[in-house]
Amino acid sequence: MLSQHIGAICKPVVNKRDHITTGQLIGNAEAFVSAPIYSPVNGTVKDIALQSHPVLGRAEAIIIESDEDNSPKQPCPDKFSADFDPRRFLPEQIFDAVRKAGIVGMGGAGFPTSVKIKANPNSPINTIIINGCECEPFITCDYRIMLEWTVQILTGVSLIGRVLNCDNIYIAIEDNKPDAVAAFKQAIQKMPSISGIKVVAVKTKYPQGDERQLIKSIINKNVPTGGIPPMINVLVANVATAAAIAEAVVLDNPLTHRVVTISGGGIKNPGNFYAPVGTSVSYLIELAGGLNNDAVKIILGGPMMGFAIADLSTPITKTGGAITILTEKEIGPAKRGQTPCIRCGRCIEVCPMNLNPTKIAHAAKHNLLETAEEYYMSACIDCGCCTYTCPANIELSGFIKTGKILVARQKKLMPK
Amino acid sequence: MAQNIIVSPSPHIYKRHSTQSVMLDVIIGLVPAMIAAVIFFRTKAVVLTLVCVASCCLTEWLCNLLRKKPNSLGDLSAVITGMILAFSVPPTLPYWAMIIGSVFAIAIGKMVFGGLGANIFNPAMAGRCFLTACFGTMMTTWTVPATIDPNMPQVGTVSQVPTVITQATPLALIKEVIKNKSAEQDEKIAAIKGIFKNMFIGSTGGCLGETSSLALLIGGVYLLIRKTISWIIPTAVLGSAFICAFIACELDPQHSVAPWIHLASGGLLICAFFIATDPVTAPLTKKGMWIFGAGVGALTMLIRLVGEYPEGVMFAILLMNSVTPLIDRFTKLTPAGGKPNA
Repeated sequence: MLSQHIGAICKPVVNKRDHITTGQLIGNAEAFVSAPIYSPVNGTVKDIALQSHPVLGRAEAIIIESDEDNSPKQPCPDKFSADFDPRRFLPEQIFDAVRKAGIVGMGGAGFPTSVKIKANPNSPINTIIINGCECEPFITCDYRIMLEWTVQILTGVSLIGRVLNCDNIYIAIEDNKPDAVAAFKQAIQKMPSISGIKVVAVKTKYPQGDERQLIKSIINKNVPTGGIPPMINVLVANVATAAAIAEAVVLDNPLTHRVVTISGGGIKNPGNFYAPVGTSVSYLIELAGGLNNDAVKIILGGPMMGFAIADLSTPITKTGGAITILTEKEIGPAKRGQTPCIRCGRCIEVCPMNLNPTKIAHAAKHNLLETAEEYYMSACIDCGCCTYTCPANIELSGFIKTGKILVARQKKLMPK
Repeated sequence: MAQNIIVSPSPHIYKRHSTQSVMLDVIIGLVPAMIAAVIFFRTKAVVLTLVCVASCCLTEWLCNLLRKKPNSLGDLSAVITGMILAFSVPPTLPYWAMIIGSVFAIAIGKMVFGGLGANIFNPAMAGRCFLTACFGTMMTTWTVPATIDPNMPQVGTVSQVPTVITQATPLALIKEVIKNKSAEQDEKIAAIKGIFKNMFIGSTGGCLGETSSLALLIGGVYLLIRKTISWIIPTAVLGSAFICAFIACELDPQHSVAPWIHLASGGLLICAFFIATDPVTAPLTKKGMWIFGAGVGALTMLIRLVGEYPEGVMFAILLMNSVTPLIDRFTKLTPAGGKPNA
């Protein structure tokens, strides 16, 4: 997959039938807002062709056939120790290492991390929030690494603090994971050279893992509509991203693997897997024992925002922290009859962005894009809460997403 | 991999409820009032309610048939319209009038607009309004409940026919006091004050399902606990009505009754919990709900205290229904992050 992040698509730098080794650069990032891609295995390039992509439908990918004698890469949390001192590295060194390693936001957005940590003298970051809140129900990959890679994550966190010259750092963990909170508090005490890191337990709710909600929960500030967190001097990074930064800076390892949660009632042995980026969904399902007979939906991501896929050869990407396989019992009746909106206002009540989903969705449905924009359609974060709660079974979130795509297309056709 | 896989937009999980279950909750909320009606008005209550509900459902079914639309009886909203309409008319109303009211409520009040979700006015109130316009006398003739308290003071027009005793409702008495300011006013005020307990339980003259404050409160609390209705509208309706009644009481204590008597009388409680909270005809936003509720309460009291009619709930609801789209527009929500800098 050459598109694993927000921003410019990578250019392949290998050819068909080339033999490549683990950690070799295969996709080069030329633009600033982009991230290079490295091979996670030893193998042969089988093809460079279009492949199913969870978000884009189809995208160019480098298909690698893995060598049979590959020794799989193992997680390396034990290579990090409590006496780590971030001052060993200069900010420029950290930035270069992150850029080179191809690190992107691993919570799901996939924004190139190097862009985020590039110090901007006009709006310096004064608060860093490390997001340890799972983005969705069913997903536990961040939880596992918080328990097992605590020191590695803290190393990464201190490096982010160092590169941005900021020591006001919060690690946010949902309050249903007291063991993770305790693990961090203990580990911080044992690390003498890091300071300013506070561990906060936040309320367990969806969508707490969204950066806007998290910023609101922790420092009670709203990110301006249409804006991004740096505008209020905040940076939010996921725990998995922090762990990847630690690996890239200290061990010089590019980002080639990530933890993936495979869960849901439709899988035989749900669990968390340390998988090479690019592994196909079908292989991961096999590893987790295969599908149960009543599995009806295979979702890349979680149940609220994930993408239902039909092609199991779709690979996981740097951002794909989960595969959720749901049964008919979990998704409810397959044929959910949609009834007219009764204006009950439940969608408004649950909207974390304080929007009017029914108004926007109905405008978008009837192609009244201007009306939809008047009601701030673009401020929608696609969390799906409105559809979840709608008693009339209206696909509010689906209509709004379609509306946003239509607006984006219009803007492309008619530039100002 | 023999399974069929479903591909659809996210989210992939849903809350287990539906329009039908929401409506069913409202019906359950109306059950205490139904029970009270049966206790106080006996078989009449049962038959009237059944006639209303049946003709509402039949009308909706026929309208869908004519419009070649799928049957929509399953959403149960016609049942609620029927129940509320039956509850808001005098028990003496003949069945044929009830049928006319029901047909109007569903056909003109709801279906011509496009069915559930598209109507501007509360269908039950539209139906009742039609009945008031057509059969004014019948709509203001009240029966004393079958289980009348023998100690209840006999004031107002008492008919001599032994089987049906008609009597002015507490609100009609209040109106007489305000309008005539006659010599008997003290007696009447005292009478109303004397029957406050009856008004709370429900054994006074009045509309079928409106007399028992207790039953309506139980139903209302059920809806609030189930979060079927928002607490804002009932609070706003009752709050603004209370304030208006309080001001009236302060201005002219001799000719006014205490605010809580106003809250317990007429259709104010059924309005606050069941009619004003009809989601279709009420505003969407929280701020809008406050304005709407306050408007309903204030208009009701204005009609009761100054207007020609003893009761103003119906007109208050219909008037506020008509400005709901405006309220929605004025209370447009601002996103959490503030307005974008255009």
